[in-house]
Amino acid sequence: MLPDRQSDLLIDEIEPARPSFFSRSGFKRSRGAVLESVFREDRLFLILSVFIGIFSGLSVVCFRFAINWARIYLLGSGAVLSPVRLVLAPTLTGLVIAVLVIHVFPLARGSGVNQTKAALYIYNGYIPLRTAVGKFITSALAIGSGQSLGPEDPSLQIGASLASAIGRTMNLSRDRMRLIAPVGAAAGLAAAFNAPISAVLFVIEEVIGRWTAGILGSVVLSAVSSVVVMRWFLGSESLFRIPPVQLQQPSELVAYGILGVLGGLASVAFASGIGTLRAKCRQLPGWTQYFQPAIAGLLIGCIARLGAPQIMGAGYEYMDRAMHGQFTWQMLALLAGLKIIATLLSFSSGTPGGMFAPTLFIGAMLGASIGGAEHIFLPHLTISPGTYALVGMGVLFAGFLRAPMTSVFMVLEVSGNYSIILPVLIANTFAYLISRTLQPIAIFDVLTRQDGLDLPSMEEQREEGILRVEDAMRPAPDVVDAEETFDRARQRFAAIPPPEELVVRLDPTGWCTLTRDAVETMINEGKGAMTLNSVLATQPIPFLHPDHPLETALRFTDRVPLVPVVNRANFRKLEGIISQRDVLVRYREFGEG
Amino acid sequence: MTDISTIEPRAEQARPGLQSFLAREPVLLILLALAAVCFFLAVSGIAGIYNAQQQALGARWYERGITDLKARNFTAAVNEFRAALRYSEDDYSYQFNLAEALVGLNRNGEAYAYLINLWDRQPEDGQVNLELARIAAAQGQSVQALRYYHNAIYAIWSGNQEIERHDARLELIEYLLRNNARPQAQSELIALAAGIGDDPTQQTMLGNLFLRAADYDHAFAAFARSLQSNSTNAQAVAGAGFAALKLGHFDAAQNYLRQAVAADPADTQSAVRLKTTQAVLQMDPFRPDLSDAQRSQIVLEAFDTAGRRLSSCPVSGAGTAVAAQAALEERWTKLHPDITANRLRSDPDLVERAMDVVFNIERETSTTCGEPSGADQALLLIAQLRATN
Repeated sequence: MLPDRQSDLLIDEIEPARPSFFSRSGFKRSRGAVLESVFREDRLFLILSVFIGIFSGLSVVCFRFAINWARIYLLGSGAVLSPVRLVLAPTLTGLVIAVLVIHVFPLARGSGVNQTKAALYIYNGYIPLRTAVGKFITSALAIGSGQSLGPEDPSLQIGASLASAIGRTMNLSRDRMRLIAPVGAAAGLAAAFNAPISAVLFVIEEVIGRWTAGILGSVVLSAVSSVVVMRWFLGSESLFRIPPVQLQQPSELVAYGILGVLGGLASVAFASGIGTLRAKCRQLPGWTQYFQPAIAGLLIGCIARLGAPQIMGAGYEYMDRAMHGQFTWQMLALLAGLKIIATLLSFSSGTPGGMFAPTLFIGAMLGASIGGAEHIFLPHLTISPGTYALVGMGVLFAGFLRAPMTSVFMVLEVSGNYSIILPVLIANTFAYLISRTLQPIAIFDVLTRQDGLDLPSMEEQREEGILRVEDAMRPAPDVVDAEETFDRARQRFAAIPPPEELVVRLDPTGWCTLTRDAVETMINEGKGAMTLNSVLATQPIPFLHPDHPLETALRFTDRVPLVPVVNRANFRKLEGIISQRDVLVRYREFGEG
Repeated sequence: MTDISTIEPRAEQARPGLQSFLAREPVLLILLALAAVCFFLAVSGIAGIYNAQQQALGARWYERGITDLKARNFTAAVNEFRAALRYSEDDYSYQFNLAEALVGLNRNGEAYAYLINLWDRQPEDGQVNLELARIAAAQGQSVQALRYYHNAIYAIWSGNQEIERHDARLELIEYLLRNNARPQAQSELIALAAGIGDDPTQQTMLGNLFLRAADYDHAFAAFARSLQSNSTNAQAVAGAGFAALKLGHFDAAQNYLRQAVAADPADTQSAVRLKTTQAVLQMDPFRPDLSDAQRSQIVLEAFDTAGRRLSSCPVSGAGTAVAAQAALEERWTKLHPDITANRLRSDPDLVERAMDVVFNIERETSTTCGEPSGADQALLLIAQLRATN
């Protein structure tokens, strides 16, 4: 495989070889060199990731405390809430939140995912610390007062904001600063959801959009350290008690397919509802923004007062109860519908808070409803709706948030049970495909565009075709072996139009190029009968393989006019050649196409 | 268009020099570590306040729940325990009492969800196993019910283990008796008897359970043991009488039942049983102390009684019961002319044949027309006694 040699070439080109710390020369280096090695920015970044995780974990713990305190003082400490408080708490708190968001923390509005993406792509990783403070206060008030929002997305933004502040303090380079916000986001989300794998996947899938070893290590470190801190204070228990989950029989997969379809439709309704209502709310006169959260709170309070207090807040307690079959299937379906309405109101009104928990709530209720109905009408098929509730969460995650990989791993991570992988895959695939078809633009992209930003769509990036070297290279020309003479090389030049170069195959492996002028010079010096090998210093040039991404070619073509493209199985076989012009022409065609 | 210069950032960007790194990064990292420690300590303090408040709120709602649970105000108790669980969602007692309140509201499914969660945490908890057994029993899941009852019997209990286990076994026995699982109930009763001392009340209770399990030998022994400690225990005397009657010890039965009726004249059941016993004693033609005349007289009366029973128990339609009864009727009618005092006195074989018809009639009619009473019951008991001997 080449690439030993080729990758060496690549690395040498990009970053000069450094003496190993453990080599003889490494030992002789000064203490300063050792410290420099330790504090190289990429290593420093890994250390900082742990700190980011710790700070984010601690912040999320405080955030959870704040939400619960807000809930106790605003709605009361009992399980049955006072009717007056049910209506007044979200309404009056909505007014306070509006004032805070408009006058004190204008960047705290919304969920936080897009703000983190904007930090990555637009603001070079800059998120003001004030945003974290604002998000903390306003989201805690909103969720605690019963607005139908969740704590995960705000936690994500709080983590990102803290990370950004730490990065600024450490005066990181622009590249690192860009990446530090997602590292903090993963930490915040992991701590909020007590699910590090899902958090890492979500950030990679929805915020960063690409897998690279460097960022992955940092994201994982921060997520793990934040979860460790969070569990230190809040325990390691999942957000809900997971019932025994299992697939009773293969025919049950049909029901999970139906769940996927209904989940996909619910996701589309939810997403298009938010897209429409949020846009309309933003079009209203500016002064109405003072009242939008309060009106949303009032309507949610009325829904709760009329018999569905379960829709208030994040609702994890009720997801738990749904998983354990403590509601009738009709009630579950009703709760799913009402939660969609309540979340539409809360989110569209600009109240700070996240959509993760409502999405999971709707999915759990929908899933448990289908499981419950099946239990009644087809009792031989299933035992408990718990599995359906769990799969339903993944379904809405896939359909609404459009994070298919995260949706699968989230269910597996939360349930700790891999036996439901088939139902999850089937249901999520249906939901994702339906949502993708009926709602071509993902909800995060819709919100971004409403905010007047043009952030890259992760979904589009995932589906974007990749240009490779083989798409731009020209067919292989005649090759001259290094054993041939300069006279022979001159004859070869006669067959190709100027100003092309000859491609020389070195022995035993390697390639170089030879210009017409160089050949003429050698012949004029009377060296025409000599072999190319004996005169030319054998300085191999980098070569590529046909499947390399086209952008890789750009790294060489500015310094090497003609880069050989070589077969992966036989390095002496030339597949084609590529120049900078070929690359640029291909990119232009791709852009026009 | 890709800007090539951005592809090789590290080669292009000027890195801070060593001096600036040494001057900043280690110091900043140490400061960051100190800040993290301070933040951690601050959050620990906040967490302490938070947890204390949560515990206090949980305990407050729990106490209210317990009060309502004791008052059998289950709806309020459920809400209060749920509120308590908000503040300590893993608290074992909160979950258990919520489950109990839910059972009180007959919301067994929800209760089961909590209990099975507790069972996963402490499968050896007797109370949880007992509650799970009750739910399984209520849902007709006998295999699960037996499993949890047995778990409860051998589980760990917080109070007096022996008493709790004894009570759990008693409940299991009641469940088995309700479900007519008499052999299993008898096994459990024998195990229960091994743990009961000489306490006459306990022995009487045990005897009564043995009676319900149709284990009359053990029942009689238990009553007898009870009477050894307290010979005036009316319940034990009545039980012993009934057990003796069922065992065919009619003399002993008559003796005990007489004592029972004398001790408690309101005990009509014993009075009826005494009558039956006396009837048996009077109507048994195979007693060795009878003269031929007395025996023939008893057979005559028994034969007539059986005839009346047969005619008062008509069976219509078709089937084996009808055919059997018709055959008995034919046998009775055919034998009837021969059943006279003289013939009976002179022909002991006729006594046997006559009583054979009588016993067959009583057995058959008891299956088709239900349990007899009075003289018919006495004849049936004699028939059963003869069959077992």
